Amino acid sequence: MFKKFLSLEWKQFRRASYFKKGLAIKILMAFIVLYFGGIALAFGAGVFFIAKKAIPDVDPIETVNKFLVFWFLFDLLFRYFMQQLPVMNVKPLMVIPIKRSTVIHFLLGKTSISFFNILPLFIFIPFSIVMLFHGYPVLNVLGWFISVVAITLCLNFTNFLVNKNNVVFYSILTVLAVFVGLEYYNVFKISEPIGNAFNFLYNNPYIALLPIGILVLLYKATFNFIKKGFYLDDAVSKKVKEVNATDLSWLNRFGSVAPFIKNDVKLIWRNVRPKQVMMMSFMFLFYGLFFFTQDTYKEMPALLAFASMFITGGFLISFGQLVPSWDSEYYKMLMSQNIPYKQYLESKWYLMVFAVIISFILATPYIYFGWDIYAMIAAGAVFNVGLNSFITLFGGALNRVPIELNVKAKAFSNTNGFNPVQLLISLPKVFLPMILFYIPYKLIGFNAGLITIALSGVLGIVFRKYIFNFIVNVYKKGKYKTIAAFSEKK
Amino acid sequence: MIKTSNLTKTYNEVTVLNIENLEIPKGQSFGLVGNNGAGKTTYFSLLLDLIQPTTGFIKSKDVLVSESEDWKPFTSAFIDESFLIGYLTAEEYFYFIGELRGQNKQDVDALLAQFEDFFHDEILNKKKYLRDLSKGNQKKAGIVAALIGNPEVIILDEPFANLDPTTQIRLKGIIKDLAQTKGVTVLVSSHDLLHVTDVCERIVVLEKGEVIKDLATNPETLKELEAHFSGVAEV
Repeated sequence: MFKKFLSLEWKQFRRASYFKKGLAIKILMAFIVLYFGGIALAFGAGVFFIAKKAIPDVDPIETVNKFLVFWFLFDLLFRYFMQQLPVMNVKPLMVIPIKRSTVIHFLLGKTSISFFNILPLFIFIPFSIVMLFHGYPVLNVLGWFISVVAITLCLNFTNFLVNKNNVVFYSILTVLAVFVGLEYYNVFKISEPIGNAFNFLYNNPYIALLPIGILVLLYKATFNFIKKGFYLDDAVSKKVKEVNATDLSWLNRFGSVAPFIKNDVKLIWRNVRPKQVMMMSFMFLFYGLFFFTQDTYKEMPALLAFASMFITGGFLISFGQLVPSWDSEYYKMLMSQNIPYKQYLESKWYLMVFAVIISFILATPYIYFGWDIYAMIAAGAVFNVGLNSFITLFGGALNRVPIELNVKAKAFSNTNGFNPVQLLISLPKVFLPMILFYIPYKLIGFNAGLITIALSGVLGIVFRKYIFNFIVNVYKKGKYKTIAAFSEKK
Repeated sequence: MIKTSNLTKTYNEVTVLNIENLEIPKGQSFGLVGNNGAGKTTYFSLLLDLIQPTTGFIKSKDVLVSESEDWKPFTSAFIDESFLIGYLTAEEYFYFIGELRGQNKQDVDALLAQFEDFFHDEILNKKKYLRDLSKGNQKKAGIVAALIGNPEVIILDEPFANLDPTTQIRLKGIIKDLAQTKGVTVLVSSHDLLHVTDVCERIVVLEKGEVIKDLATNPETLKELEAHFSGVAEV
């Protein structure tokens, strides 16, 4: 039976839409996978040396053990956010004469070979090998390795059990934040006791039986959990929450654009995928921390200009590049209605501008790095509003990938909004602020660079009528193609 | 009202629709029947300019559908669930469509009040998103949404499928009323011969993209259609 299931899975994998994409994308995807896989491998192999160099008097394995707790907490968060549980695929199997337990075992087995469980292997296997090469005792390394893998799988099933439970998610997030904070300010180092526990485990490999035991228990718990819920009305069919219609009539002040804005606000608020994008774009706010804290970048203000643009542009870029894909589910209807493209686009533009303003306000703490930096972020924000928004919308217009609104994006299997055109369009987004800054900066000075960036944005705002018309024409030209692409089955 | 001439649609050298001449006068209730792949949905999609004709054209009230967009204000349609916005409640959806068609909240409410019977208390005030409604209820919402804004042409693809018997009967009443008393041109496609003969004054049979029968409905029409389609089955 398992063999049949496997062949089904294989077919599902092979025939998935992302395999039918063009060769260029396939190659690009392969590169990306190789790239990240390579990074993970290199990191795994390098951790040993990094740890040794950073804290020379301590055995690297002990240093690593110390940080494992953060790794696992982060892993859990990441899973909660990204990992798709395969429950939905059960439906067609429920009515055919196979033992329920077989299906569940298969299902659970399937979850354990997800990306999230394989990635840690890419890190921990090279690390263990490096350790072995350095003459660490085989038994101990093996015990340690098995425990780490077992704990990773434990997290996998824990995620299954607590899935969709926001309370758990936020408590883990708080716990992680508190521990990191305490650690940073040397109040209480959680890494010490847990590190010691892992050291103990490393020194006594037979303790690896403990995580394995926990894993078995968790597996059983998950098994029972699914078995109990193995009916259509529980696990498989989605929970229907009662909704409260929100009154957004205060948005009517936007005049003819209002119906679209109201709709777009609901679109973001009520669907999984755009919500995910919103959360992600929040992360962009911290992008500057990478650059502003490093002295090396101080010499390269062009790179800083790029980073500043990113800080306020997170939502703009990630949301904007998928206009009109956000409306792909009902695009046919929109096209048969008397909708003015311009208002439709303007609504999205207002949203993006609004997001830039909010991000800019939230970015106020960057003043800490000096007014120069803050002025740069401000210039970046103007650039985003006036120019980047239009480049992004233009890129979106050429992007014809349907989106399932209420389905989470999956790590790596998701190529939505990913095509060569998209890539080409994203180049100016990255390089334009750098060039706009760098040339006047070299010729005149720092402030001239800032003014040029901001001015480019102002120009965009002044001429937005023409730019909108231009993009509208792209929409009109591609109408049939877009409809056909959006109505394709995913 | 709607004039179709020399219309063909070809995909990869396979012609899926070929209508030489078809005129639908104002206020007619027009039924389109045919087996799967006969070209019904293709024709409706062409009427809504969702796909491009290979040759020929459709004129709706003298507006060239594939050239101008002026037909949109007086045309409305419900083809399938992709006409619904899943994350809205039924009311929000109706108001949104209303706003697109220049109707305010009161106008929409007044229209919805007429369809209380049809909704059978399963659509309004349910506090559910459209995506969480059953197929039948989604269809009800979509059909009523197509009536918002006093359209002069209404296109419904398979409106009877998925509906419960009571609703089917009520829908027939609605369609008849639209065409006979309000002068709306209603285009309906269906696999259910009984329903179309009940509702439509004129029935056109499509087969492999071509019009092979064009009947004015009379008491004998149902028999004729049944004979035709069982004949197709035997071949």
